[in-house]
Formats: sequence, structure tokens, C-alpha cells
Amino acid sequence: MNTLKDEKRLVRFTYIFCLLGFFALSLLKTPIDKEAYVMGVITCILFGYSYFVIRRFFPDGDKFIFIFVGILSIIGIMTLYGIKMPSSIKQMIWFAVGVTIYILIVILLPDLKSFMKYKNTYLILTLLFMSMTIIFGTEKNGSKNWIVFYGFMVQPSEFGKIFLCAYLASALKDYKEHKDLLIPAIVVMVSLLFMVFQKDLGTALILFGISVTMLYIATAKLKYILVCFVLFGIGSVISYQLFDHVRLRIMIWRNPWLYASDKSLQIVQSMFSIASGGLFGVGLGQGHPEFVPVSQTDFIFPVICEEMGILMGFAIIIIYFLLFYRCMRAAFYVEDKFSRLLAVGLSAMTACQVIVIIGGVTNMIPLTGITMPFISYGGSSMVISFISLGIIQKISEDWSW
Amino acid sequence: MDDMSSSIKKVLVVFLFFFFAVITYITYFEIAVAPKIVNSTLNKRTWVKRNEVLRGTIYDRNMVALTKSEKVDELTQKRQYTGNDVFAHVLGYVNIKYGITGLEKKYDSELMADDTSILDIFNIDKNPTPKVGHNLITTLDSKLQSKAYELLGDNIGAIVALDPKTGEILALVSKPSYDPNNLEKIWTDLNKNKNSPLINRATAGLYPPGSTFKIITALSALENIGGIQNRTFKDNGKLVFNSKESLSNFGGEVLGNLSFRNAFIHSSNVVFGGLGEELGNTKLKTEAEKFYFNANIPSDGVTIENSMFPKLAKNEIGNIAQSAIGQSTVLATPMEMALVAATIANGGVMMEPYLVKEVTKSDGTKIKAIEGKPIGTIISPSNSSIMKDLMLGVVKEGTGTNANVPGIEICGKTGTADHKEGGGNLAPHAWFVGFAPYASPTIALAIIVEDGGQGGIIAANIASGLIKEYLGS
Repeated sequence: MNTLKDEKRLVRFTYIFCLLGFFALSLLKTPIDKEAYVMGVITCILFGYSYFVIRRFFPDGDKFIFIFVGILSIIGIMTLYGIKMPSSIKQMIWFAVGVTIYILIVILLPDLKSFMKYKNTYLILTLLFMSMTIIFGTEKNGSKNWIVFYGFMVQPSEFGKIFLCAYLASALKDYKEHKDLLIPAIVVMVSLLFMVFQKDLGTALILFGISVTMLYIATAKLKYILVCFVLFGIGSVISYQLFDHVRLRIMIWRNPWLYASDKSLQIVQSMFSIASGGLFGVGLGQGHPEFVPVSQTDFIFPVICEEMGILMGFAIIIIYFLLFYRCMRAAFYVEDKFSRLLAVGLSAMTACQVIVIIGGVTNMIPLTGITMPFISYGGSSMVISFISLGIIQKISEDWSW
Repeated sequence: MDDMSSSIKKVLVVFLFFFFAVITYITYFEIAVAPKIVNSTLNKRTWVKRNEVLRGTIYDRNMVALTKSEKVDELTQKRQYTGNDVFAHVLGYVNIKYGITGLEKKYDSELMADDTSILDIFNIDKNPTPKVGHNLITTLDSKLQSKAYELLGDNIGAIVALDPKTGEILALVSKPSYDPNNLEKIWTDLNKNKNSPLINRATAGLYPPGSTFKIITALSALENIGGIQNRTFKDNGKLVFNSKESLSNFGGEVLGNLSFRNAFIHSSNVVFGGLGEELGNTKLKTEAEKFYFNANIPSDGVTIENSMFPKLAKNEIGNIAQSAIGQSTVLATPMEMALVAATIANGGVMMEPYLVKEVTKSDGTKIKAIEGKPIGTIISPSNSSIMKDLMLGVVKEGTGTNANVPGIEICGKTGTADHKEGGGNLAPHAWFVGFAPYASPTIALAIIVEDGGQGGIIAANIASGLIKEYLGS
């Protein structure tokens, strides 16, 4: 199957989208903002060059994965340019770093099968990263899930997620009977508990999503999934009873308008932002991201909806689904069980993250602050997302078209 | 291929479902929720638009500026209320955090209207003329308002003063008040305060009207009972309905044999309770509803709560008698009672209460002048002149002598309204409603002092002070 023509067409549309977007941004200032042109051109070159490298040296892998990620990143860089120019430049640098890591993983990483034997290492690293912030953590935006590392703010749980996927893949690949599931189950539960203690409910939800998905792929048994949901339900009720911060989230979710000027300020402003955009938005760079709290990271989706309309919001959701589809496709074709489970876990991670944050900012589900992969500002999120995609890309290289 | 591959397909479908659910929810949000919330005052975007125009000034009837607006920066402007606490309820406030209330809300679009014509778009100028909203000239008399505020002192209560001929609102005071210039600092206290300073008691406070309601009972008797003025009543101090319920005069007074006039000016509960029984609920209710009890009072610039008169069954004799003296479940706003007084003062025609006389451009040119509008003829001129005489008697020789001002003939009716919210044994609310001067009334009043005791004392004293201020010089 030759997809070269389709790919090239999509890449060309992406260039046009990127250049038009930055052109629109340049018109907002008088005299015309030339830096926007520079940004637009550099972004296009970066995207085009990365595509060229991947196409040239790894013709076997799935190129659509990178193209979708490129489009999402460009939307992020463009929106950030309207919110705060320096963030946009930094984001572009992080995009470049991410792409480099992505390519390096594909080149340098030996065959993934060789990674399946480090089960216990993954186990230790998972628990280490999940628990790290309880000891070293600093609280930010209501969650104690950040550590300061040489001046950088890093979220260890982001790395923990990847190691959890690796651990579950190496543990579940040998599944034969019930008792093989015991230790993985304990590891997942302990990780979830750490997340609840760190008030990072969003990540807890994602970990649950990853684990359930991988469990189902490994065992193909619905009864396990049912047991998982029952346990999750019990766990939710208990943490609702025990933790104030959990109760607060639920209370805000049920009626955000009652506490609009303090406790639920974030979600209410987010809903105003989406509502103000309408179908087509008020125009790139012409919204009011200054009214939306943490508009560069967790709440970038409302900003995009305000400026480019909910149609762009739908487009983003669809692109995420297509990305998820391509990743799962890699898992579908690969022979080796470990690689397959890992690919499924990492794809589910990105997909869950998207559902949780978009559901959160629209008040469809209780709001929990997490980033939008590839779009939200921030190095830690960008690098992690590219690492996980690099691994999937590598997996997709393992089979021939 | 194997189990795993079919599982992957199933997982794909499940995730597709979730993504689709998110899209569906956003669609629902956009259609059902967004239109409702987008214009909320909490949405700061509406304030950006608001700040493009410098808000117009509100003046009193003598062109004393009650507000002052200046631009702080591109997004904010500062609104100063020159009268601080005195005008808080009637003017309201406009605040990005706490919203808009009062006259500021009612006339928001005028205050924000800008005169930039469509042609100015072609006038590309580096320094465009600043946009300024329209000004309002209100009917308020700032001297009278300040006096009313001062006379209420530390009491909780409200005062309404109207021009009975036009319906112009001369003063509208509610206490406790607050300083609208200082909302950020006092907001939490305001909301915690059990006396609810944010409520405009003058238009939204619902109180038992007590004996001031006898005006309406008397009118109903005049209309429905022939020869009522020539009847002699017997007041033995107590009206007994059955073994449990009875009604006494204030302070257990026994007034003996007395005429209709004396029963009114000495405020006999026994006589008026008896008249209530004789008239019945339907006739009393009809009379009250003529005065817009249980209905929206047409008005401009203020929001008036509906006053209430109950519908009672024939056998509820006790309650019927109580309702005739403004107790039971009869509730009235001070504005309602001021309108009752104003209607009698105006020969039976009720005028629509209004707050804004004129809307002008920023340069002073008149855009719109608002005239007094009659709501309707509520009672006949002859009955209104009978009532005027009765109310003159109240102040001259009845329960309201404290309202007297030398040289001015004042008409009025006192009220001492029992209330028992919370179950405690509280002092009654003190009422005074009235108008002056007798010959050609120019001011009608309603005064309530919560837990103020006897209406003939504290409320009548305030009335005297206000009338002296307004008509004295």
C-alpha cells in the first residue's frame, strides 16, 4: 500500500494551515508583526524537515503518526503565540527537542523485544516516580505533583506512566491464569493511591484507563474488566468519603455556578471561554485567554475553542482519534506480545489524557488538571508524549508494509 | 488473527465511543448551555465591551452628580458614588466581580450607549474621541434623601418619599446600608451580616402593614357599607371570636362609644376588626387588589416586590378580622404603602412611581424626557377627600400627633405591626404613612422602623423631620 501521495497532500495542507495561521496573527499588530512570519516559516521548516528525515531514513514505519502529531503541535504553537509570545518560542524549541528524541528513539533503540526482560526494574521505577512527589513535591495549582529539578519544573508521574506501561506489558505478556494478575493489580492500586494522595486525580484516571485497556488486551476477559470497574467504584466512594479535595471536585462539577467567583472560577471561566467562541471562534489571537486560568497548559482547549471555534475543537478531537487509531494499528500488526501491549498502553495513555482534560474543561466530568498532549505548553509533557510516540513508531517499524 | 487482535478492535470501538461522547457533549453545551451563560455578568468578556464606553453620570433632580466615572486603563474604569452609603440601594452598583444592581442595572443600556455615529468609522483618527455613555437625571432629591438617611439613624428600616401628583420618587432609603465604593473590602461581611444590608427594604422588604392598612379597610367600608360615617361603634377593648381567639386594642385601651372618624384617628382594632368581619374577605381583598396588592406595580427604574393580601375562607373569622388591621398574613412593601398615601393625596389617581426624569447626551442635550403616567383611578374623588380629612385628624388629634410640623397641615396614619418571625417576643414594627400639605399635597411618605415600637412615636417623628425638610423653607 503506497500512502506517499496522501501523506504529501496532508503535509502540504499542514504548511498552508501553519502559514495562514501565523499570517493572521501577524495582522493583529500595527505595524504588521514580522516575527509571526518568522515563527510560521521556522515551524514549517521544522515540521517539513522532520517529516523528510523520517520518510528518508525509515520508509517502513507509519508516517501518519508524525503528521498528526505535527498538526497538533502547530495548533499549540499558534495558540500560544496569541497567548504569550515567549511561551510560543519555547514551545517550538520543545517541539524540536521532542522530535529529536523521537527520531533518536527510532534510530538508537535496539529491538523492543530486548526490553521485555527488565520487568522488576520497571516495577521499581514505576513506584519510585509515582511516590517521588510525596517526598520532594511542591504544590502547584492545587496538586502536589511537581518537583523542582535544577530550576525545571518536572512532573514525575508523567514518567511514571510510561514505566507503568512498560511494567504492565512485561508482566501481562506471560498471563496464563488468575494469579499472574495479582502483583500487577497491587502495583496499579498502589500507584493510584499515590496519585490520590498527591491530589492528582486526572493522572489517577489515566492510570486506570491504561491498566484496564492493557488488561483487556492481554486477557480478553470481560469479567476482569467488570471486577476492575467495581473496585474502581468502591475506591472512588472511599476516597470521596476520606478526602476533602475529592469531595470539592465533585461538588464543583455538580453545580459550578454556586461558587463561580472562587472555588469554581476555573471551570466557569473555561465554559465562558468556549461559549464565547461559538461555532467559528472570534479569531486567532483575538480571544481573552487572560480571563482563563492556566490558559497555556491545562486550559488551552477552551482558548482554542474561543479563538478558532468549536469546529476546531472537533477537528482536534478527531485528529487525536486518528492518531490513536494509527497507534493501535501498529499494535494490531506487530507479532510480539510485549511490543503489542506496550503500544496499546502508550496509545491508551494519550487517548485517556485527551478525554479526561477535554471532558474536564467542558464540565462533562469533574475537572482534573492535566495537560493536553502535544498542544499544551510545557517541556515535560511534550518530551513524554514524544517518547511514547517514538516507542510506538519503533514498534510500527518492526513489521513491513 | 488471534484473541488479541479482536480485542484491539473492540478497544478501538470503545475509545471511538468516548471521543464521540465528548463531541456530542460539546455540541449539547454549545446549543443548550452556551447561549444562557455567555451574557452572564461573571463573563468578563461582557465587561470588556462595557469598558469601551465611559459610563454616563447619574444626577439628582437638581443636577447634583451622584456618580463619577473615570477610565483607569483599557479594560477598567472606576465608578465613584459621591453619596457613599446614602444612595446605595436606589442607585445600586456596577462591579466586575459582583455584577450590576439597582438603577445601574435598569438603565444599563442608556448609561453605556455611545453617540458615535456610523460615519465615524471613516474618520480614521489617531486619537478618537472617547466614547461616553448617556447621563441620567433622576427624580431624587439628594437633600431629602440625605435627611431621610440621617433620620433613620442606626435603626433598621426604610423610607419612601414620592411626589403624589407625578409619581416621582423623591427619596428611597433602606437601612442598614453599605458603601458601594468599597465592595471588595466589605463583600464577605455584607453577605454574612444577618440584617442583609444588600436588600433594598424600601421596595423589596415585605412587612405586616399593621394599622396603616386601616386606610384600605376604611375605604372598603366607605364603598360597601351605607351610612358608615354616621354609625356609632362600641369599643369595649376586646373583640372575641371564639374561646381561643380575640383581638385587643394597642396597650389594652378601651375607647368606649365612638364614631367612625374617632375609630380611625384613634386606631381602634376592635372597630376595624369588626368592620373586617362585616365586610368579609372578598371585599377586603378586592379593595387591597385595587391598590395593587398581589400584583406587579407598574414602575420605572425600581424593582418592586409584590405585596400580599391573603385569600381566606369564610369561617376564618379571626384571620379576616386580623387582616383588616394589617396583621395575619398581610404583607406590604414600604413602596406599596407610600403609593396608598400618594393615591389618596392625588384625589384617587395612582401615579406610576419612576426614578428617571431625563436621559441626556454627554454634552447635555436632551434625548428623552419621561413624564408621570397615571396607573389608574383607584378610588373616587369624594372618598379620597373623606380619607384626607380622616388622615388629617390622625395627625391633629389622633395617634399621629408627633408628626406635626407647625404651620403645615399634615395627613397620616400610624401603624404598630406585630410580627413573630423566629418565634421570639420582638418589639413591633413602627409605621407611618402620610402626605402634606393637606390642601395640595406635594410629598407622600411611607416610613418603617423595624422593631421600632409604637408607630406614633419614632416613625411619626421621622415623618415630621422629613416634611419639615422638604416643605419647611
